[in-house]
Amino acid sequence: MTAEWAAQVGAVLGAEVHDDFGVARVDVAVAGWLGALRTARDELGCTFFDWLTAVDEVRDGYRLVCHVAIPPSKGARMRTLILRTLVSREEPAVPSVSGVFAGASWHEREVAEMFGVHFTDGAGVGGRLLLSADFEGHPLRKDFVLASRVAEPWPGAKEPGESDASLARQQAARGDAAASARRAPRRRSRPAGVPEPGEWGPRESGSPDPDPLAVASDRKPRRGGAL
Amino acid sequence: MSVPERSRGVIALIEDNCTSCMLCARECPSWCIHVDSHGVTEVPAEGGRPRTTAVLDRFAIDWSLCMYCGICVEVCPFDALEWAPAHAYAEQAVGALLHERERLADWLVE
Repeated sequence: MTAEWAAQVGAVLGAEVHDDFGVARVDVAVAGWLGALRTARDELGCTFFDWLTAVDEVRDGYRLVCHVAIPPSKGARMRTLILRTLVSREEPAVPSVSGVFAGASWHEREVAEMFGVHFTDGAGVGGRLLLSADFEGHPLRKDFVLASRVAEPWPGAKEPGESDASLARQQAARGDAAASARRAPRRRSRPAGVPEPGEWGPRESGSPDPDPLAVASDRKPRRGGAL
Repeated sequence: MSVPERSRGVIALIEDNCTSCMLCARECPSWCIHVDSHGVTEVPAEGGRPRTTAVLDRFAIDWSLCMYCGICVEVCPFDALEWAPAHAYAEQAVGALLHERERLADWLVE
């Protein structure tokens, strides 16, 4: 990011410009999202729409991220810009930018399915883009339960010297008080990134179960950096 | 087909080095390594303390799940897993991509 480009972006968008590893980045409020993208295209000249995506920031909401650029021309290198906004978790709605960049429609449909963010005034394309019609939930939300990680037994649950069969026998005997008394309870290791059963997933409002959002935001990175 | 030296197409098992410690199965992000073992208690010498060691019964990698990250090779404390250059092991049925230890040992290149 050159100082000249940063100054130009800051002056036109009227916002603070951050340097994200060499790329200019501007954060705007939801109300100014559509306007900022239109200004970027019309006044800055960022006519190339690269991509739009979202990040689940747990308690802060969903962060929309959009990458646009001025295509390279004779004597000028490509200049790029990242625009971000934070959509509230309670009411994840934001105006669609498909009127500014038609190609954004595809990306917005993906974000709508994966994060459950509603894009108002969208092109109104019917049908799902990636998920099947009867798929429930938004798979890239942090509180979404990955069904295969619940249904599938973890291959690492066994201790050295154990087989699938001996593990199943132990689990069957766990309900038996005499058997548990004979064997001192041993803490089983858990797979990385999969919280304990019962502390994860959707719950009824007002339920005494732990809040999946609290679990997702409080969980410390474990060994190896996995969440 | 010839491939460059040290190509990484498959992970081979050196069974003699494996202690069934489960580290690879636990670190695997795609849950594709299956290890079964049983404990054998032996008295190493007359009057000695009995020791239990794990004996490997099953070692399988499901190539339909593996993402070839190589974490298992990195974490193995006894170098029982090794990258090998074999790459042409496509199958007609997804279940056939589950390679048991005999097959995994065959990939080893001397």
